[in-house]
Amino acid sequence: MLPANPEVRRYTDMLSVLTMRNVKTRYRGSALGVAWSLVNPLIMTFVYTAVFGHAFAQYYRGSSLLYMLAVFIGLVSNGFFASATSQALHSVVSSSGLINKVRTPPSVYPMAQLFSSGFQLAAGSVPLLIVITLIFTHSVVNAIALAVPMLALALLAAGVGAIVSTLYVFFRDVPYMYELVLFAMWVATPVFYPLAIVGPQYRPLIEWNPLTQIIETIRALALGTHAPTAFGMLMPLAVGVVVSLAGWAIFRRSSVRFMDYL
Amino acid sequence: MDRQAPHIVLQGVQLDRPMQNEFSHDLKRTLLALVRGKYRPPGQRRVLRDVNFSAAAGERIGIVGANGSGKTTFLKVIAGILAPTAGFVKADGLVAPLIELGAGFDPELSVQDNIVLYGVLLGYPRGRMARRVDEILAFAELEPYRWAPVKTLSSGMTARLGFAIATDVDPDILLIDEVLSIGDEQFRRKCKDRLDRFWHGPTTVLVVSHDLAFIEQSCDRVLCIDRGRIAFDGAPRTAIRFYLDAVNLPLGSPP
Repeated sequence: MLPANPEVRRYTDMLSVLTMRNVKTRYRGSALGVAWSLVNPLIMTFVYTAVFGHAFAQYYRGSSLLYMLAVFIGLVSNGFFASATSQALHSVVSSSGLINKVRTPPSVYPMAQLFSSGFQLAAGSVPLLIVITLIFTHSVVNAIALAVPMLALALLAAGVGAIVSTLYVFFRDVPYMYELVLFAMWVATPVFYPLAIVGPQYRPLIEWNPLTQIIETIRALALGTHAPTAFGMLMPLAVGVVVSLAGWAIFRRSSVRFMDYL
Repeated sequence: MDRQAPHIVLQGVQLDRPMQNEFSHDLKRTLLALVRGKYRPPGQRRVLRDVNFSAAAGERIGIVGANGSGKTTFLKVIAGILAPTAGFVKADGLVAPLIELGAGFDPELSVQDNIVLYGVLLGYPRGRMARRVDEILAFAELEPYRWAPVKTLSSGMTARLGFAIATDVDPDILLIDEVLSIGDEQFRRKCKDRLDRFWHGPTTVLVVSHDLAFIEQSCDRVLCIDRGRIAFDGAPRTAIRFYLDAVNLPLGSPP
């Protein structure tokens, strides 16, 4: 083995045990395990399809099945973003007992939340998405290309998670405000409605929402209904890189002061 | 290791912390104050001032002082948990903090998982902790509870587990903050035996305690901390007399 830097080894060890703890406590050893993470989006997919499938199928070549899969993709992506960032939000404050007792790099706490959410996604929804892609497009290239919007999604969640977890250390009303932000994001992202129904004056606002483009790109790649656009592939990735760099810079700068408020 | 080289050094250490009651903790109010130009950063309180201290490997140092005088803060600075506002801190080697045992446990996880989790958080490699599980369970006398969630253990058992994990290595620096009285009489004796091993080895021990008899017996140097500064540093007996004189009412005042 390579002579690893002890600080790096310590960091990866901590990240792995904390991620394991998060994954294990989330399911409390339930027999269904990670499969549970699919139950919520599956149920909601059926609800949305039952209510809106009839009205919106016309935007999906008249197919309720395509609408249903589009909703599923939207719910999974949006759900990952919402749960990963809100869990990261609490991660530093809820570890305050530990941070006050042992010298640990504070960034492992939001990182471990992100990794456990990522693990959940990778074990539950991603295999399903790959199967859908292979069935609908018969294209391995499309299945591999799914990694691009997924990476953008992870970077975006990492950056936002770092920012909200920092804010929560200093301001305890952040969770309520972030809930509001998430709800606004949810409405401003075409998860269960087609982008085409949004009026032209607000359309650019929603098109520039990186989550919109991530979801639309995954839909394009998985369902093969239309070709993914370069804008849809690259804009979220660029935003993700910028947001995650900014988020971690803010986190690092502020973390020296964490101890005073935990 | 060179026993003469000091491996803990604090030079001119000062630590300021913001006053919690002056900080708003309310984002809306803070933003509003910023917009109106009325935002004032919270005032600072000096918790440690002008602390100069060095310890050689193998020294056993007791720390006494009134509540709130900065004893735990002093240990936290050595452990690297708190960074000084000014001054220089050096602590060589593996620091094993015994500051409140069991803080890193997750009540939902099994005893075995918690051993690995807690050990890694204390700074030991994951692979090593996985190999040490049997040994730690045996010392804590908790073998039948390996797969039980920690929340089902009694508080005494949890403290035993924490002690067994934190002392499972030979740390270079051991910080003890009033945690010597855990478990029943039989387990206490085991703890004492294990601590004796550190006590007579090359480990530097810093122990905060209000048990002055214990401090006098077991330490070869005692610090008396008073309002954030080291008021006395020297032989145990003299230091304890200094401390008792300092906290006593002035002579002649009514009882």
